Amino acid sequence: MTEENTPIGSIQVAPRAVATIAYHAALQSYGVVGLAPKNLLNGLTNVLVKDPTQGVSVQYDGQNINIDVYIVIEYGTRIKSVANSVANTVRYQVEKSLGMPVNQVNIHVSGLRISDLD
Amino acid sequence: MKSDSQTHLSRRVEHLRSTPIDGQALKKLVDAGLTWLRTNQQTVNALNVFPVPDGDTGINMVLTMQAAYDEIANSPERNFGKMAHAVAHGALMGARGNSGVILSQLWRGFARGVDNVEVLDGPTMVHAFAEARDTAYKGVVRPVEGTILTVAKDIAEAAKQILEDTQDPFALLERVIPEADKSVERTPELLAELKKAGVVDAGGKGLFYILEGMLRAVHGQRLDVAVTSVQPLSAMRLEDTLETIEPGQDFEVVVDFRPARPLDLEQFYNRLEQMGTSIQVGEGDGIYRMHIHVPTDKRYEPIEYTFSLGTITKVSMENLIDQMEALERQARNIKTPLAPVEPGRIAAVAVSPGPGVARVFASLGVSAIVEGGQTMNPSTQDILKAFENLPTDHIIILPNNKNIIMAAKSAAELTVKKVAVVPSQTVPEGLAAMLRLIPDGDFDRVVADMSAAIDEVQTGEITTAVRNADIDDVLVEEGEIIALLNRKLIHSATNLEEACLGLLEKAEAENYELVTLFYGADVTKYDANHIADAIRKAYPNLEIELQDGGQPHYQFIISIE
Repeated sequence: MTEENTPIGSIQVAPRAVATIAYHAALQSYGVVGLAPKNLLNGLTNVLVKDPTQGVSVQYDGQNINIDVYIVIEYGTRIKSVANSVANTVRYQVEKSLGMPVNQVNIHVSGLRISDLD
Repeated sequence: MKSDSQTHLSRRVEHLRSTPIDGQALKKLVDAGLTWLRTNQQTVNALNVFPVPDGDTGINMVLTMQAAYDEIANSPERNFGKMAHAVAHGALMGARGNSGVILSQLWRGFARGVDNVEVLDGPTMVHAFAEARDTAYKGVVRPVEGTILTVAKDIAEAAKQILEDTQDPFALLERVIPEADKSVERTPELLAELKKAGVVDAGGKGLFYILEGMLRAVHGQRLDVAVTSVQPLSAMRLEDTLETIEPGQDFEVVVDFRPARPLDLEQFYNRLEQMGTSIQVGEGDGIYRMHIHVPTDKRYEPIEYTFSLGTITKVSMENLIDQMEALERQARNIKTPLAPVEPGRIAAVAVSPGPGVARVFASLGVSAIVEGGQTMNPSTQDILKAFENLPTDHIIILPNNKNIIMAAKSAAELTVKKVAVVPSQTVPEGLAAMLRLIPDGDFDRVVADMSAAIDEVQTGEITTAVRNADIDDVLVEEGEIIALLNRKLIHSATNLEEACLGLLEKAEAENYELVTLFYGADVTKYDANHIADAIRKAYPNLEIELQDGGQPHYQFIISIE
């Protein structure tokens, strides 16, 4: 739970809310074709998730917000560039909405989607 | 040669039109697109949504196109389709930033659309544009409209329509480009962020320049001088032109003027081109600034010419030969004395945005300096090169910029040496960390110590807003001085002194002990001293130190500790 105290009370933001922001930011980033479940029990990397908390994990230790995003990228894009831009977008959007600094955004590329073969 | 309907075109165009568009022709077109994009790079960079001067869309797109061109530069391939695939491959390998990745996808789709095509014709080109659009759109779940994607879509759509009138690829290109321009102009209507910032989409504009450059090459127009557009004054970088001094062009003339009538840019440029080279024109608030290099005997011509157009407000003329010598002298003087490395000990590598900052780092015991900062992020390779040859296995990197931390970390992974990145996001953080370096200490302990030091310092930055904005509840107008505290916009003011004082007030400077001001390349020592005095007066209990930082863009980098 992300917290902030104001003179008239406290504001609490659930990790799920933060995850939703990150989820939408990631999906709008170029090259990302979906989010993958973070618990890969059986290596089912092809399954894309619809629930924000499935593909994003948010940790808050009372001081720092750390976000892990599990993405599937379009085959044929430059993975490093895409991951970089996802990290930047997620950080920017979360910081903008939340007004609190994000400590880390870790991007996990769980798989690639091949739309068509060259 | 073709029919007489084309007699109005210059012989060059006719010749080009009768030449089949094969692989070699594509090479020339890619080169033209790249050159024209590079010429207009600053304009693209200036289309930045956040009001600090760190826009890099233009740079990213240029580097992506450069990689694409490098791939084919020496290729003798005549098959158009194969050449297009090579371009796409190069673009993919060199893709930088969001717009670069999208650009590489456009090339990939384009190449697929011309698979095994020997020579390009109109219908194939239209098909390839559609493929480019489809491939680019497939790369994202939720395409954002009002971006380079929309422009690519509109281009494909327009090309399809025009195909009904003409099948000639050049005629197609000629008519597609105005549509691309309109599409770019429409982007703010589709994307609220752009509208709020009062800019058009940078990536879309870049794509437009690439296509326009190709057409200009066909028409035999110049590619090395920005003609159709005038850059905002803040985006003009006159110092860049010093590198391209040609023999015979001995004088640099810069004229500020207010035209009596709206300026006919095409004609204006044509006249200037007859006089000299390295022409740049900037505009802001109705004032135009014209920059040109001319031979000695023509040095008064540009002034007299602009005098006929309107009111001249300022003229400056400089002897370039003399200026060059002064620059070279300066370059020799700032050789920084780096700390020698003893084998087995810990060596520190710092990224520095300016010569003065580099000197300060060196005096604190840094063993290697990588040049780079806000708009010039060094590559992983640059950082790697800096420490690979140092005679020790224990390296600590200070990126001193949020955008460089990633490259520093990749560099750390690429080497066999033991490397740690102390994630300093600003110069003051880096300096604070440097103070904790113990070259013969325990590596992990030193790294932890240095990382902890980062939080003990506050960083202020003073820069000029490149456009209007409303961010973090601070209303900023173009040209105003803005203050950032720990990378957050907190204050805007009309002059430097006010900005510095506002920043220190917000930082609650009275609770600290030492304030160090690094003044940038755009600030004179006199002005810097003046501001330092004002701060001393306002905070008599603080120790104020003034250093020549030499960094670009930021008038001041301020460390509060």
